[in-house]
Amino acid sequence: MGDDYSSVWSYRLKWLYTLLVVFTLMLPVFYVIYVSFNQNGFGAAEYVFTLEWYGEIFSDLLLLGALGNTFILAGITLAVAVPMGLIAAKFYKATEAKLLTVSLLLSPLFVPADILGSALLVFFKNLNIACATIGEWLGVSWFDTWFELGYFSALVGLIIYTLPYIFVVILITMGRYNEQQTEAARSCGATAWQAFVQVEFPQIRAGVFSACAFAVILTFNEYTRTSLLKGGYDTITSVLISQMLNEGMSEQSYAMSSLISFIAIALIGSIILYTLVQSERLEREARAKAEPVMSG
Amino acid sequence: MSQEIAVQVTDLSKNYGPVQALRGVDLSIATGEYFVLLGPSGGGKTTLLRLLGGFIRPSAGRILLHGIDVSEQPPNHRPTSMVFQSFALFPHMNVAQNIGYGLRLRKLPKVEIDERVTAMLDLVGLGDLANRMPHALSGGQQQRVQLGRSLVLETDILLLDEPLAALDAKLRKDMCLELKHLQEQVGITFVHVTHNQEEAMTVADNMAIIADGELVETGAARDLYENPRCRFTADFIGETNIFDGTVTGFNNGEVAVDLGFAALTVDDNGQCPNVGTEVSVSIRSELVQILRSGIAVAADQQTLTANYGEAVYLGLATSHVAALPNGQAVVARHVSTGLALDVIAPGSSVELAWPRSMMRLHLS
Repeated sequence: MGDDYSSVWSYRLKWLYTLLVVFTLMLPVFYVIYVSFNQNGFGAAEYVFTLEWYGEIFSDLLLLGALGNTFILAGITLAVAVPMGLIAAKFYKATEAKLLTVSLLLSPLFVPADILGSALLVFFKNLNIACATIGEWLGVSWFDTWFELGYFSALVGLIIYTLPYIFVVILITMGRYNEQQTEAARSCGATAWQAFVQVEFPQIRAGVFSACAFAVILTFNEYTRTSLLKGGYDTITSVLISQMLNEGMSEQSYAMSSLISFIAIALIGSIILYTLVQSERLEREARAKAEPVMSG
Repeated sequence: MSQEIAVQVTDLSKNYGPVQALRGVDLSIATGEYFVLLGPSGGGKTTLLRLLGGFIRPSAGRILLHGIDVSEQPPNHRPTSMVFQSFALFPHMNVAQNIGYGLRLRKLPKVEIDERVTAMLDLVGLGDLANRMPHALSGGQQQRVQLGRSLVLETDILLLDEPLAALDAKLRKDMCLELKHLQEQVGITFVHVTHNQEEAMTVADNMAIIADGELVETGAARDLYENPRCRFTADFIGETNIFDGTVTGFNNGEVAVDLGFAALTVDDNGQCPNVGTEVSVSIRSELVQILRSGIAVAADQQTLTANYGEAVYLGLATSHVAALPNGQAVVARHVSTGLALDVIAPGSSVELAWPRSMMRLHLS
């Protein structure tokens, strides 16, 4: 809060400014939520409050199917990318070549989404042609469809996209972990795996869970790469965007968008709260270590 | 104390790229001994300890623990456990859980674990803190928990890596004695790394001086202090005056050394240097007396003329500094008696005297 002489008003103004920025950024979301409760839908002159659209989310099969697909993609992305990010973070802490490691792992962030997406699209198309040609040549057809656009190709795109974020989020919590504890566990008789599961993981758990949440949210968020690579499947974002580009979003779509926003805000909110509480606790522990409660 | 060998290290080396952290070390430690690895920071003593514990792999050489070659074994397959400098307690487990961790890994029955943990808590004096979390413990208590966590495993060898370095001076002294008594009580081999020579002297049965990646000298603590063979040992342990000179002759177990401005005669201590060899001679500062010029001295005393510099009051002792004709400073240290001795004026000529038999000759 600054020093004793700084004006309390400058402090309040800073807060006010921060809240204003956040409010402006979130305004469109609030508007979508507002529309989702209107009986007459988007752009109507008269506002009549209703929960009807929320009830109908579950009767819209297109939307429901897309939601299912998105969840499957999010689940598999999480299951594959989080362990990969964890291993990458472990490697980063152990290696001498830190700059190279971090540049390689973060490089997908610096390639624009449409370029990465179309590059992967070309890659998979060529792979398909190669598979078909080789299959024809060998007189077999069972691997012709291995690399057709679909879940698999969409997942590859999503994993490349989410891995850098997961890596960074896990690395931040892992940075606070003292490797000496792993050595202490090993000298107590633990194998490397036991030391990781019983001593290191409980201390980096918060980072791993945040990374999981990130993977899910990023999957829901992603349009460009996924829409290029998804093949015939629909995801929530692709449905919403195609509706918007064509006849305008259906009332149920507003309700679905709001629902997803609620869940995302609640999820991120609880992660932030948990992290704050956690870091407060760690700080308290650090203070306690610096000033022992008693001597002897 | 049995003379069975607990630790046998042969030609042990560790390189980090072009850096040689440890070079060709040979060392053996007897079972049940309190052994200290003493040396300046960055000298390689922690590297040696970590090699014994299995946390790093030797670049060359072999490590035998109780006769079994463990050079390629990971830490959990060695008969060792380790106490670290600090921050090595598991922060998400309380004191009792920390101490019981290794026993749980061994899948012992819960009743037995509880019994042994309780006994260990009493042994290290933490009986009433079983449920405390590590962050709520003082530095000394944290180290006691670490000790308990290692000792409860009843391994044959306990490795201690600067276990007291993070504690304040007073607590370090108390814990030193406690460690010594604890080792006598449990009777296993302790290998303790420190850069603090007082700590080393307090606990050690035997010790090794390690510097620049090499083993300089080993021996009993008292021998290394009173009868160091190497110049480095003489310089590192205690406060010692060292004179460099050239051998001019030897006779009957005595060596004549020319310092350029004076000549000394020193016991050869079983060494036979050639005439012309560069050697050093050391005398500990508490053995040096400062006398006014013209006072008669006994025949067994070595004397040198010097210019008195100043007195530095250190509490227990007072250091008197005098300069030799070549400019080298010599320190004479005496217990401060509190009596008002007559003060020597700075710059006045004095005689430095010490027993000839207490001088030590160093070839390296």
